[in-house]
Amino acid sequence: MIPPNTTRVVELKIPSELGYERVAREAAATVARRLGFSPERIDELKTAVDEACTNAIRHGSKSDSRMKVVVVLSADETKLDILVKDPGAGDSPPSEVLDPDIQAQVEGRSPAGGLGLWLIRQMVDEAYFVEDSESEGNLFRMIIYRTTDERRPALNDVSPLKSDEGGHDA
Amino acid sequence: MNAEIQVTVRFERGATIIDLAGDVTTFAEEAINEAYQHASSDGARNIIFNFREDDYINSAGIAILIGIVTEARKRDQRLLMAGLSDHFQKIFRMVGLTQYADLYPSVEEALASIAERG
Repeated sequence: MIPPNTTRVVELKIPSELGYERVAREAAATVARRLGFSPERIDELKTAVDEACTNAIRHGSKSDSRMKVVVVLSADETKLDILVKDPGAGDSPPSEVLDPDIQAQVEGRSPAGGLGLWLIRQMVDEAYFVEDSESEGNLFRMIIYRTTDERRPALNDVSPLKSDEGGHDA
Repeated sequence: MNAEIQVTVRFERGATIIDLAGDVTTFAEEAINEAYQHASSDGARNIIFNFREDDYINSAGIAILIGIVTEARKRDQRLLMAGLSDHFQKIFRMVGLTQYADLYPSVEEALASIAERG
């Protein structure tokens, strides 16, 4: 018999081509439904996974469809831990994420766009680039709890999108 | 892989309605901008973007809509957004789009608002 707290892992490889992020988004939603996530949390998860994969395609591999983005979904009873790996062929990840200034964009003082990482931060409980010297490319990790009650107590004090010195065991 | 979106323009009770059906992503940019330009060239003052409950919108789609908002302000047009799911209503509020476009549950309610303002 499988122990109740066993982690289920789903691993996907998608071409680095815009449009395929939809595959990862729907796969993540399917896993979350099996975990009993609410529709609202599933919507948040879908936005976060879509944006992370879009970034990995556009910025991490310059939309080169010969490259791959790997998405690892690790599910346990309380949360979904998502790792998005790209080849690191493009720009380095930003060191900080600013709140959007839509007024500046509408008034033409700053270009439209750049919302992806900011949106991810609003959707999930943890989000950060993992510093892993053994792995080439970028690793972006997101954790979303099934309910807000299941978050770790200290989580509210954790600043999202920080760097993490440790590796990832997914 | 191309996103599937259908964009149509219709006119009803003093408003131009742009119906969107599908994913509002970078692939939708040309179709949405063409529809908006078509509506504007006909002198539209009130433009309703009519989303479907199950439409998906990502940050690139939001950037397209910010571009539309920018144009609409220059042309003194009123933008209304109808039919968004609760999730995307929340995101539009978070991003600040609701400073520039009013949200309505349905096209009917958006049209009623236009009629009230006269």
